[in-house]
Formats: sequence, C-alpha cells, structure tokens
Amino acid sequence: MTRRMKLLIAAGIGIAVIAGTKAYAFQADAAGQLRGSGLVGEQADGYLGLVSGSAPANVRAQMESINIQRRAAYTQLASTRGATIEEVAAATACQIFAGRVAPNQYYRLTDGVWRRRNGSEPVPRPGHCG
Amino acid sequence: MERITATLLAAALAAGLSGCVSVAAPERPIEINLNITIRQEVVVRLQRDAQELIQNNPGVF
Repeated sequence: MTRRMKLLIAAGIGIAVIAGTKAYAFQADAAGQLRGSGLVGEQADGYLGLVSGSAPANVRAQMESINIQRRAAYTQLASTRGATIEEVAAATACQIFAGRVAPNQYYRLTDGVWRRRNGSEPVPRPGHCG
Repeated sequence: MERITATLLAAALAAGLSGCVSVAAPERPIEINLNITIRQEVVVRLQRDAQELIQNNPGVF
C-alpha cells in the first residue's frame, strides 16, 4: 500500500466519522429503525446486511452509511487494542446478537442464512464468540 | 584441510537451506489457521471494549 493510498483511506475514514456524527444528530436510532424495517438485519461479521435484494435505494444508502460508521469505529478500536478490524467487528457482533436484535428482527450467522428472531427467544451467538 | 572444507561446505549448505526457508512465501492455509486461533482469543478479550463501543455510538449499532 502506498503512502498516498493510506492518506486517502485515512481521509475517507475521517469524512465517514464526520458524516456519521452529523447523521446521528438527525437519527438517534438509525440502526434500530433499519432492523425494524425487516429489510436489513445483523450479520455475524459485525455489519448490517440486506435481508431482501429488493430493498429501496434509500434503505440501502442508510445501511451503507451505518456500515461505514461501524467500520470507522472498528478501525479505531482495533488500532488501540492491537487487533484486526475483523476481530473487533466479530467481537462487536457478539454483543449486537446478544442485545440489539429485537423480536421479529433478522440476523445472519456464519452459515449465511437469514433468520428471524422468534418472539423473545434468544438469538444464537456466532461461533467465534466463545 | 579436508575437514575445513567439509565444515565450510556444511556451513554453506546450511546457509543456503536457511536462506531458502526464509525466502519462501508462507503457505496460505497455515497463515489462515493461525489467524483463526488468534481470532477466538482476541474476540473474547475484546467483549468489554465492544460493549463500550456500542454504548458510545448510539444509532450506529
């Protein structure tokens, strides 16, 4: 990776963080609203994913915006903990699966299958959570 | 003299061999397995940090 590329990535993350802060000012629970729509669910990799391929463009855009903010947050934590971004993301997925997926919302484990949380049944945790 | 030559030869051979080992690219499957082993530990160790990350970023999680 060249120095220029690194700078570009750093700038991109910076912009994403600023954009994320701005978005937060308008939508306090953007991720929860997306999950509640049933079009977007939580994945074992620590990011949101599209449950159905036919989601409207604005839903996709919101999802991508949140995923960029997540990646920025994961990147920051990874650098201070000597872990990879993927490790931080996977660790966060454990917490998301344990506490953020509400009844009837969707989640996807490493098998790639979307499942809907049935009532108040607990959401299974991804295998890497230990 | 013969002994010295033999020693030198052995040394050169060893240097050559170690050179081969260090230059050769690590095989990918081994690298991946290593990462998985580390991953599990790190993921478990990061749980508290992950919880704080979620709490400090409302709307993102």
